[in-house]
Amino acid sequence: MSKTVYLLLPAFLVVLGVGLIPTISLINYSVQTPFGEVNKFVGLENFRKVFFDTRFIEAFQRNITFSALALAIEIPFGIGLALILYEKGKLNTLISMIITIPVLIPPITIGLLWRLMARENGTLRNLMNFLGFYYDPYRVPEQAFGTIVAMDVWHWTALICLVVSAGLAGMDRSPVLSAKTEGATRWQIFRHIELPALSFPLVFVSLLRLIDTLKIYDEATVLTAGGPGQTTEFLSLYVKKTAIDQFIVGYGAALSLIYNLIVLLLAWLLLIVMTKGKGVV
Amino acid sequence: MGINSKTIVRSILIILVTIAFVFPVWNMISASFSSKLAVEEGRLLIPDGYLGNWERALSGSWAEGLVNSLIITISSVLFTLLISFPAAYVISRYHFMADKHIFFWFLATRMAPAAALVLPYLVIFRAVGLWDTIPGVVIAYFGFNIPLSVWLFTSFMSVIPKEIDNQAFIDGYSLWAYFRKIFIPLCMPAIGVVSFFTWFFSWSDMFFATVLTSFQSKPLNALLMVTLGRVGYGVEYGLASAAGVITIIPGLVLLYWAKTYLSKGFTFGRI
Repeated sequence: MSKTVYLLLPAFLVVLGVGLIPTISLINYSVQTPFGEVNKFVGLENFRKVFFDTRFIEAFQRNITFSALALAIEIPFGIGLALILYEKGKLNTLISMIITIPVLIPPITIGLLWRLMARENGTLRNLMNFLGFYYDPYRVPEQAFGTIVAMDVWHWTALICLVVSAGLAGMDRSPVLSAKTEGATRWQIFRHIELPALSFPLVFVSLLRLIDTLKIYDEATVLTAGGPGQTTEFLSLYVKKTAIDQFIVGYGAALSLIYNLIVLLLAWLLLIVMTKGKGVV
Repeated sequence: MGINSKTIVRSILIILVTIAFVFPVWNMISASFSSKLAVEEGRLLIPDGYLGNWERALSGSWAEGLVNSLIITISSVLFTLLISFPAAYVISRYHFMADKHIFFWFLATRMAPAAALVLPYLVIFRAVGLWDTIPGVVIAYFGFNIPLSVWLFTSFMSVIPKEIDNQAFIDGYSLWAYFRKIFIPLCMPAIGVVSFFTWFFSWSDMFFATVLTSFQSKPLNALLMVTLGRVGYGVEYGLASAAGVITIIPGLVLLYWAKTYLSKGFTFGRI
């Protein structure tokens, strides 16, 4: 033990340096108002301000709406795809590869792909106009929001499909077979046999996606840059604008910490789920 | 008859899904090979074969950006492997007090939103001269790459029986010789997976790259963000698309290999 423990040292120092020290610094900044050269201790004043910051609260509500919508669409889609692609075959392998493409594309490029389609003369916009819908996500806030949800569904449905497929592959098929011989419908089989067996992977992947949707930055910023107005400004973008672009260090740090805490709370839940269902995912 | 209509519905569904997933990517590839006018007018079904975007995307500051991206990504992968592999070995071999808490702390570092951590990085890096340098970006990525890698390695290594270690040490292997001749070859699949996720994070990050670099060491994604941010001046979508195509090439090359690991690995990888 004593001989090998030094092997831990580099990793320990790195996590200390890039994990712990920045967090301590954040706490340190958050109780001050560094304004020019004068640093003034203000206690919890910055945190108090966060709770009265309508822009923050709106961004938070927006983020929750976004997460709920994205998950509500992605999860049934992902389950459906996994069930369709369950039978092995060359075609199904090819399709599961095609739908995996977005997962391997950097988020910034996902944003670019969708902006190319949603911009003026973009394919999606032309198609919508051709079908007789007025579509302009750079003018209509609801359409901007909807496009971001659609983009997220496009990006991540494959991940849910993959996790569900892994869950289906790992489950015991004999109840399904006996249910089939007794004349159960496809829906009954899914509802009473497959869905209960998938509960753990589904909780796991939902939490994972929930955390990810709360962190969304690259795609949404490239697509709409928070606009029109501030109608698609998510938490990450607001925190970044305040802390980095305007460089309001004290208040920015308080915002960062609260944002961090929200995500961490969900991460903690995820950890509990994972340790309970060890070996299933 | 019943089977027939079912097959038709299924085929239509499959075709629609394929178009929905392939078309956006084709749209970008096509834009990268199209002249400015064609891009602006949205005639992108078939590119007109204009190569100007690619000439620009592969020269000047864009070429430098690509080189920076490659340096950052490759050194991230190498250093992450070097630092996390030995640490994971120790963790997988010995039990610690409160190792669950350490584990959560690791997880927390990885899960933290980039937007909420970047402020102290910016302040500290400016103070110590790491801002706008390639090592600075690589170090910032460590915070995300190393916890995940240690975790993936540890879960892989704890399945390898300790008896192999003990027998090798009895046979007179030094730790280093044991690593080189026995343990590292055994861990090759895990090394592949860890390299993949480290590469993916470092190659696709835009947030840290934008905030922590300025003139000297902007990687490709940061340049792309600058280009896409110039909304008022008319974005050069053709050029941006060429850069975008470069960013997706490694992922598409790895698609087949990665798919076998994705279902298991990506669930961990997103953490």
